[in-house]
Formats: sequence, structure tokens, C-alpha cells
Amino acid sequence: MSREHAGLPAAVWTVAMFQLARLVTWPRLAMAAVGAVFPAGVMLAAGRAARGGFPSDVSVALLYALIPEAVCMLGLLVTMCPAVADELERGTWAHVATRPRGRRALLLGTWLAAVIWTGTVAIAALGLALCVADVERPAAVAAMFVALILLSCIGRAALFALPAVVLPKRALVASVGVALVVEYLAGTIPAVVNQATVSLRLRSLLVDWMAWKRKLPTEMQLFIDPQPAWLHVLAVAVLTAVLLAVAVFILERRQFPPSDEV
Amino acid sequence: MLALEHVTKLYGSVIGVNDVTVELGAGAHGLLGPNGAGKTTFLGLVTGQLRPTLGTVRVFGEQPFGNPRVLRRIGYCPAADLLDRTVTPRAWVRYLVRLAGFSTAAATARADHALEQVGLTAAARRPLATLSKGMRQRAKLAGAIAHDPDLVVLDEPFNGLDPVARHDLVALVRGWATARSLIVASHLLHEVESLDAGLAVILGGRLVASGGAAEIRGLVDALPGEVTIRCAEPRQFAELAFRIGGVEGVRIEGDAVIVATHRPVAFVEEAAVRALDEGLHLGEVVPADRSLEGIFGQLVRLHRGVRA
Repeated sequence: MSREHAGLPAAVWTVAMFQLARLVTWPRLAMAAVGAVFPAGVMLAAGRAARGGFPSDVSVALLYALIPEAVCMLGLLVTMCPAVADELERGTWAHVATRPRGRRALLLGTWLAAVIWTGTVAIAALGLALCVADVERPAAVAAMFVALILLSCIGRAALFALPAVVLPKRALVASVGVALVVEYLAGTIPAVVNQATVSLRLRSLLVDWMAWKRKLPTEMQLFIDPQPAWLHVLAVAVLTAVLLAVAVFILERRQFPPSDEV
Repeated sequence: MLALEHVTKLYGSVIGVNDVTVELGAGAHGLLGPNGAGKTTFLGLVTGQLRPTLGTVRVFGEQPFGNPRVLRRIGYCPAADLLDRTVTPRAWVRYLVRLAGFSTAAATARADHALEQVGLTAAARRPLATLSKGMRQRAKLAGAIAHDPDLVVLDEPFNGLDPVARHDLVALVRGWATARSLIVASHLLHEVESLDAGLAVILGGRLVASGGAAEIRGLVDALPGEVTIRCAEPRQFAELAFRIGGVEGVRIEGDAVIVATHRPVAFVEEAAVRALDEGLHLGEVVPADRSLEGIFGQLVRLHRGVRA
């Protein structure tokens, strides 16, 4: 039973598995089920309203709005935002904060758990939605959406890590604000500022992988970045690493007075 | 083992601890003080959760805040109840041991051993929500010792326990103190005394006394107790009190005469008889405040150099 000084990856994995086990409750599972079903429901309802269905491209655009945007965003809001607040409320913060590298492992492990949980729900939603959507080359579309879902979860979970550590008790409200201001406002401004958003990268990848660039009106091309796909993937990876590094830096220096804990 | 040098911790304009200088060697130590005295802040500084605003904290020769080398050697049991109701004690303790750097197999074995030590084996696989407060307290204690730390820090470990559970846990913690260093914070003098620990008394963020239990008791016994007597003729009674002797001080507050004396029982007996003889009308007699709050108050006055 010797101490092995297991490294940070082992501690992060431990936290992720523990957080996922915490998520397996009836209310959380019900929320996940709703998240998995509602894109298919919307696709069905929209298809019926259109009487005869949509062209394949419209279905893909709708799937993009519903899954990598809506499902991922909502899933990450409920799994990533309470990373620190839940620990304070449950009286577990002091236990974790007094473990070697406990704070770092807590944040990164919760991030990983949020990505796994939300990614799984979003992929399930994609599977159900593809059953009812009329798209050409469904396997290729599915593969593209899996990649977009993963990038969305990885980047946006890191984005929500910042409000989680800066304003733990107001993290949900702050994250909604961040999502609106950073992802949906700054992300659509055709300037340097949108380069640091996940939404620009996802939109650009969608347009690139669906070969829509020529079909897009000129004014719509302002909202995408015509760089190669690998550069967008790299940009999301770099953005994620920077956001997580900043969040870890802040959390490792945060002090909560005893009155903040239950 | 640990040293605090002129340590002050501020939360904005609120003082957590105020200019505390103390050095504690290996062994068992009790940190005594009423609620809100600064005990949890003191422990937060020692366990690396808080950084001092002023001064230096050293644990095992190093500053503890965010220091994995120090944190690896500390086991902390906070006062706050464990409200993670879906998790079982076994899963919780194993999780903490994994975070302390052990493999899954070692963490499982250590968690089981620690739960056995605190007598929670039978309930180890039940969700925390279904356990009593005492059982959850035991689960917290198991989490603090399972990774075999050199220093165990317990914040109000006996809070909310019934007398039997309290007795069992005191015996358990006393056993630990023989093998490792221990700091126990409590607002109950007898709990800390029963651990045969050295004592540090903290109040209003200040360390007001430290020493062995006998020394603190002696200090307390050497302090004059205050007796409050309500009387229709307070000035005449104050004169009478001085004539009786053995009185350290007298002050009058309305119809109350507050007498500081080393022998309060004898004083009250004699004062009652003489007041009756002199035709004074006594109302209420409130005995010396020997409650912990009263003792703390007197220690603070002693610390500030006020006699009574």
C-alpha cells in the first residue's frame, strides 16, 4: 500500500469519474433524456410544418443550431458552472482543497466530466435527430457533427470554467452572460475579437466540411473564417488550453472564508 | 511542527485572526475558543486553504498554501457537515485517498481500513443521506486519516454527536494522538482536556493563553470570579462588600453591585448574613460566571492586563 504519488492525470480522471457518478441521479438523467430527445422533436415538428420536409442543407443547418449550439451549451451550463459552488454547498470544498493538487484536479476533472456527460447527451441527440431528419450522406454528416460536438464541448466547458472560479455563487448567471456576449455577440462581429470564440470556429468548420462556401451570399461570408479546417481545430485547442490555464491559476489562489461553506 | 509568526488574516474589514504568534511541536494540541473566535481561520491557515494577510505560517518548515509537499502530510476534517448525500462513505473516502496520490487498489484498501477504524464498515456502502450525523462525522474522520498523514487537523469533530458517540470518538482520536500529531479545535474545554492535549485558547482572533490543561485550569482558577448582587441600597452594599474582605474590585451598575472575588461562595454566604443584619434589601444573587464564555472573557481581560 505504498504511496505512489500518482500524477495529475490520475487525479483528474478520479475527479471526472466521481463527478460523473454524482450526475447519475433521476433528475439529471431526466434532464439528459429531454436534451437528447428535443432536437429530434423539433426536427419532426419543423418537417411537418414545412409539409414535405426540408432540403438536406436546411436540415443540417437546423441540426447545427440544435445540437452543437443549443444542447451542448445548455448541458455545459448545468455541468460546468457549479464546479466550485457545488463543492462549497456540499461541504466538500475544504476536503478537496487540502489534498495535494486537489484544486487543479477538481477543476480539470469537472471539465472532463462535463465534456463526457454533455458530449454523450449531444451524440445521443444527434443519433435520434438523424433518424427523423432527411439528410444526404447521413454517415458523413454524423461524423462531422460528432467532431463539432466534441469541439463545442471542449471549448465551451473551458469558457464556463472562468465564471465557475471567478464568481462561483453566480456562475450560472455569469456563464449565460458570457455565452451571449462572447459566443453570440463577439463571435459574430467580423473583426479580430471573433477569432477568440468557439462559435466562429464551429461555423467555419461547418461551412468548410459541407462545402457551402460557394453557396453562401457574400454578406454571410463575413461570419466565417476561410482558413483551413486544421487551423480551426488548433484554435479551439489553444483557446481551451489558455482558458483552463487561467481558470486553474485563479482557483489555486482563491480563498473562501469559512462562512462561504455550509 | 508548525509555527505562526505575527499572523493576521483579514476578510475585507473583518478580522479572522489577529497577530497570532505560536509554535506547536509534535504531539496533540487543543485549540479552544467560542464560536466565531477564529479557530476555523487558524486551521484554514495551517491546512493551506488560506494565506495570511500579514505574517508567516510554516508547517513542517514550509508555507502550506498550495504546497503539495505539505498538504500530502496533512489530514483535515472540517466542521461543516458532509452534504454530498448520494455518495457512500466508502466511495467518498476512496476518492479522497486517490486525490492524496494513491493507486485505486491502495485507495480502496486504505478506505476500508479507515472506515473499520472509525467503526463504519457496516454502513460503508449506504448513501450518506441515510446515515445519522454521527455516522457522517465518522466518515469525515475516516477521510482525514485514511492516507496516513503526519498531522491530523480536526475542526469541532464531536459537534452534534450524542454522548455515546462522543465518548467513542474521543477514545478513537486519543488513540490517534499516540501515533501522529493532532490539532483539535473545540469550544468545549472538557472535550479537549480529555485528549490529554496541550491547549491554546483563541478569542476574537487573538491567542489569549496557551499551555497544558493544568496550566489553563490554574490560570482560570487564579482569576477572580464575579458575583452580581441586586440590592435596593447598592452604595451601602458596596461599602459592606469591602468590609468583608477578599474582594478584588466592586462596581455599581444601576441596582446591581458586581463584586470580583477569589472566593465567591464564601463571600455570598457572609454578605447575605451581614446585609440582613444591616437591614439591606437584597434581590437577586447571580453566581460567578464559570461557563466557558465567562472563562474566555476573563482570560481576555487577563491577556489585556485588566485585573477584574
